[in-house]
Amino acid sequence: MAPGEKIKAKIKKNLPVKGPQAPTIKELMRWYCLNTNTHGCRRIVVSPGRLRRLLWIAFTLTAVGLIFWQCALLVFSFYTVSVSIKVHFQKLDFPAVTICNINPYKYSVVRDLLADLEQETRGALKSLYGFSEVKSRKQRDTESWSPAWEGVRPKFLNLVPLLIFNRDEKGKARDFLSLGRKRKISGNIIHKASNVVQVHESKKVVGFQLCPNDSSDCATYTFSSGINAIQEWYKLHYMNIMAQVPLEKKINMSYSAEELLVTCFFDGMSCDARNFTLFHHPMYGNCYTFNNRENETILSTSMGGSEYGLQVILYINEEEYNPFLVSATGAKVLIHRQDEYPFIEDVGTEIETAMSTSIGMHLTESFKLSEPYSQCTEDGSDVPIKNIYNAAYSLQICLYSCFQTKMVEKCGCAQYSQPLPPAANYCNYQQHPNWMYCYYQLYQAFVQEELGCQSVCKQSCSFKEWALTTSLAQWPSAVSEKWLLPVLTWDQGQQINKKLNKTDWAKLLIFYKDLNQRSIMESPANSIEMLLSNFGGQLGLWMSCSVVCVIEIIEVFFIDSLSIVTRRQWQKAKEWWARRKAAPSAEAPSGAQGQENPALEIDDDLPTFTSALSLPPAPGAQVPGTPPPRYNTLRLERTFSQQLADTRLPDEP
Amino acid sequence: MHVKKYLLKCLHRLQKGPGYTYKELLVWYCDNTNTHGPKRIIREGPKKKAMWFLITLLFASLVCWQWGVFIKTYLSWEVSVSLSMGFKAMDFPAVTICNASPFRYSKVRHLLKDLDELMEAVLARILAPESSQANATAAMNLSMWNYTPLVLIDERDPHHPVVLDLFANDPTGSASSSPGPRGACNAQGCKVAMRLCSLNGTSCTFRNFSSATQAVTEWYALQATNIFSQVPQRELVELGYSAERLILACLFGAEPCSYRNFTSIFYPDYGNCYVFNWGMTEKALPSANPGTEFGLKLILDIGQEDYVPFLASTAGVRLMLHEQRSYPFIREEGVDAMSGTETSIGVLVDKLQRKGEPYSPCTVNGSDVPVQNLYGSYNTTYSIQACLHSCFQTQMIASCQCGHYLYPLPRGQEYCNSRDFPDWAPCYLALRMSEAERETCIRMCKESCNDTQYKMTISMADWPSEASEDWIFHVLSQERDQSTNVTLSRKGVVKLNIYFQEFNYRTIEESAANNIVWLLSNLGGQFGFWMGGSVLCLIEFAEIIIDFVWITIIKLVALAKGLRQRQAQARYAGPPPTVAELVEAHTNFGFQPDVGHRSPDAEAYPDEQALPIPGTPPPNYDSLRLQPLDVVESDSEGDAV
Repeated sequence: MAPGEKIKAKIKKNLPVKGPQAPTIKELMRWYCLNTNTHGCRRIVVSPGRLRRLLWIAFTLTAVGLIFWQCALLVFSFYTVSVSIKVHFQKLDFPAVTICNINPYKYSVVRDLLADLEQETRGALKSLYGFSEVKSRKQRDTESWSPAWEGVRPKFLNLVPLLIFNRDEKGKARDFLSLGRKRKISGNIIHKASNVVQVHESKKVVGFQLCPNDSSDCATYTFSSGINAIQEWYKLHYMNIMAQVPLEKKINMSYSAEELLVTCFFDGMSCDARNFTLFHHPMYGNCYTFNNRENETILSTSMGGSEYGLQVILYINEEEYNPFLVSATGAKVLIHRQDEYPFIEDVGTEIETAMSTSIGMHLTESFKLSEPYSQCTEDGSDVPIKNIYNAAYSLQICLYSCFQTKMVEKCGCAQYSQPLPPAANYCNYQQHPNWMYCYYQLYQAFVQEELGCQSVCKQSCSFKEWALTTSLAQWPSAVSEKWLLPVLTWDQGQQINKKLNKTDWAKLLIFYKDLNQRSIMESPANSIEMLLSNFGGQLGLWMSCSVVCVIEIIEVFFIDSLSIVTRRQWQKAKEWWARRKAAPSAEAPSGAQGQENPALEIDDDLPTFTSALSLPPAPGAQVPGTPPPRYNTLRLERTFSQQLADTRLPDEP
Repeated sequence: MHVKKYLLKCLHRLQKGPGYTYKELLVWYCDNTNTHGPKRIIREGPKKKAMWFLITLLFASLVCWQWGVFIKTYLSWEVSVSLSMGFKAMDFPAVTICNASPFRYSKVRHLLKDLDELMEAVLARILAPESSQANATAAMNLSMWNYTPLVLIDERDPHHPVVLDLFANDPTGSASSSPGPRGACNAQGCKVAMRLCSLNGTSCTFRNFSSATQAVTEWYALQATNIFSQVPQRELVELGYSAERLILACLFGAEPCSYRNFTSIFYPDYGNCYVFNWGMTEKALPSANPGTEFGLKLILDIGQEDYVPFLASTAGVRLMLHEQRSYPFIREEGVDAMSGTETSIGVLVDKLQRKGEPYSPCTVNGSDVPVQNLYGSYNTTYSIQACLHSCFQTQMIASCQCGHYLYPLPRGQEYCNSRDFPDWAPCYLALRMSEAERETCIRMCKESCNDTQYKMTISMADWPSEASEDWIFHVLSQERDQSTNVTLSRKGVVKLNIYFQEFNYRTIEESAANNIVWLLSNLGGQFGFWMGGSVLCLIEFAEIIIDFVWITIIKLVALAKGLRQRQAQARYAGPPPTVAELVEAHTNFGFQPDVGHRSPDAEAYPDEQALPIPGTPPPNYDSLRLQPLDVVESDSEGDAV
């Protein structure tokens, strides 16, 4: 005999597999009810009288139902979050501060590029509104603006004509270039403001028309006010022109850090242009970011109050403003995280000239739990949009990247105010004559959520937010103006004889109001331990049940009941077989089937409950002679050895 | 021997437990415990027995592990927060208002005369070096200048920066005093710096500035501090703006108020400030309605013409909302309001209530903070700002031997000035720049447990409108000065509206996330879930352990006795023991010679047979009694297979 076999035999001998002890399902149930650890069942069996029994059955079933209901509630509420708000007082990292002049490029420098456009804009203003001459600053008057443009064929107006529409006769527009000649507008008129405000009934509406190459399907954009129309029209052409200018040239045309930032003071220390990093924004020109990660150490504040924050005086230089592109004066400030892209055009704070703007900050940090608790992403890696910005993921970045990618796909070129995706160019007329039409169509679709960007992009899970309290005070004060302006001019390195206005300067203070940092944190409201202990509480409350009871139930109701049923069937089949054998022509098809079932093999000659009682005791368990009864141990022997003797029987052939 | 017998009897009596052997005890326990699982172990066949044993063990360890988790969670003292928002009648916040200029120039002119002359000369030197060359500097008081002079650092040659004194009267600068290089020096080439020298002039440091504006402003502020710190505070109060001049009109809800309702408080850097509704002597005013009509309306005159020109370059009112009986740190937490405008401030009271130790580190009244609160003399409550400032002042006194002018003084100390403490300025600047010192302060100071912040929504409009300007100024001038002339102007007047927003409070309150009830119910839940157990089961278990110990003691006693008996037997060797002795031996429960033969197998019998068993001992009733009825019952069922 192989040793493996031997061990097998030994195991079989010592740990025999027994079938259920009860002969019938009813017996099994009775046995279960009497012996189970679950409360209630015993009552069903031992209660006298039918009414009581029924009542107990009802109680038990209700309890079971309640358990299932409550546990289902617990499971469904498992993925909830609890929010905690914590406030600590500590040294805080100062955020990155991006400062831009609202005007992107010095007008004196950029004028050559925009000369044609300016001429045509003025011409359009004159013919549309009868606005003849700008009483602008002296500097501009010197450069003569020749009214001789009429001789030149206007290229911009030809490309995208500005039109006047008459409200009452829609579909007919008047091209102001060829006054009188009515131009039939085919295609759809899209009113820029129609879905926002009801436009008052004015006769004339100004707009412009965008046509694709073949000029059959034109879209016309109208505006409720001529200001919007002219600015939009100007911007369109402006972007077109600037898209062709290389980046280095654009940076040179814009303000340098030394020019923009006259003084800088942080945390009681003097700082200068070197502490700022350049960030070129397509629409705002050169912007400067303080406390960027460039030099690897993030500045921090260990005191609250304006003394310990960032103080800068900005030179705004109103003279160099582009009259058509920007109509406000001042600077834009954005407070953001170091690795965040500054969306200055979307979320910046504007500051006024001749004012001291104090911005007090309160830091709030939020952390959300990602899947499965909420739809958010930790770092954007699971969002199927490629981040074309050189910055950490944010919802805004995702949306813009998505739009830009779609733009390159559909129109073949990239939009000017967003970064370039790899292997793409900015749109301009020379290469992409009908990009504007394409862009407007796409933009419309984007706003109406037809591109699917909004559904793909997820918000990020953690973000820092600086709540700002902005207050203004006059600066410089009436009495200090006299000495402050010359000193500032000296700092600026300008000629001293040039008189600078106080509206050319702006003072900005950014500081932490106090060093309290609020963190809003989501944490799972339920852990698996909590869920289990709640289950336990429910089970214990209604039926004093536990996992042990569940195992019992599985054992009794599934394993034992099934084996009883099969045993019954087996016996029936055997009886039938025996009867069949008694009859002369007996074949055994069913017996062969039964033999194939290995589970039944052991059951082959299992004694039933009653037959086991009448069985002779096993020879191994024979009590020797007459030893003095050791009652104490006898009791113990019985629980184990009797059973052993019992189960050894079936093993013997 | 008698005592021993008695003790044994006692032991016997106490040990009315479920058996005399470990096995009996275990079986009895498994059979009778209320914990689910153990019963199964003894009621099933051998294979299932093993399975049930494993399951029970597994569940028991699961319960222990998860209990550990829960207890750890409980001991981490987490808090849960409840946030409530809404409107309720609340005490109106205390409002502190200050003028941006600390003093009236007309009153302090005599003190600042020398300094102003010096400043003007400095400006002239910086802006136009050639033209002011001829100006005689002898007329000026140069002692002040020599203390901390401003210098020009010519950085046009980056490797050899040349230091030029602005007034070329010192011998070191004479070499480079030729007008040639200086004349061409502008902001790109030259930087203005402050020279800070210790008393004997041996060690000098330069404090660099990126711009001249900053340099002259800082320099002036330093010198002015020097001057004002030598004037007693009583006199300084006189030099500032008085309440009558500052506050022209006041209206709280429908009730008129005047400058008399304001408490005066003196700030070194803002002069006289006035606190409305401070609640120090009288009860705080409540406000039960949201909106401008029920708030505080103020018209102030800041008198911009009378500003100290070099000290205050911003013009306006600085104001702050704070809690009653708390010290207003207006420099840190104030906001500005502009002249010629109406500033509306909607207020939301943001309250934070912390639970305190051991949940969050905070202090209720500051008594457990190791920093002396210097603001205690104002009779105000503890705040972390007060602690930080006190801490700084303490450090200042420790290292510079004098207190800074901006912060209150501890008893028996003096403010710094260059006459008595010539070294103070470098010392102060070094201390201020020191990051380590600040961090020690942050570490030492604790947050206060109840923290109230006032969130403001600020909006502005021009005021007065052009149409109403004339009569408003007329009326206000007459009321203040009893003159028919208009003494006010758009540059001076500030209108303030401070009112509660529609939702005026937001309270964040901490409460213990896990209390003892939570802990117990979770422990119970776990135990119940895995094993159907309860505290009673734990008591049962403890009981069994006690029994175990008893049995061990008994066994040890028996062992000792058995040893002695064997020795005695060996000595006797000859005659057999009498019946009485044998009886004694048997009734002694400690008599269990066959510990090794306790295996449940039936093979045990032959071995036992071989043992020398005495005739017919009396039955051991004690153990018979222990045999419970249902064991027999279950046995019969066990036989059933």
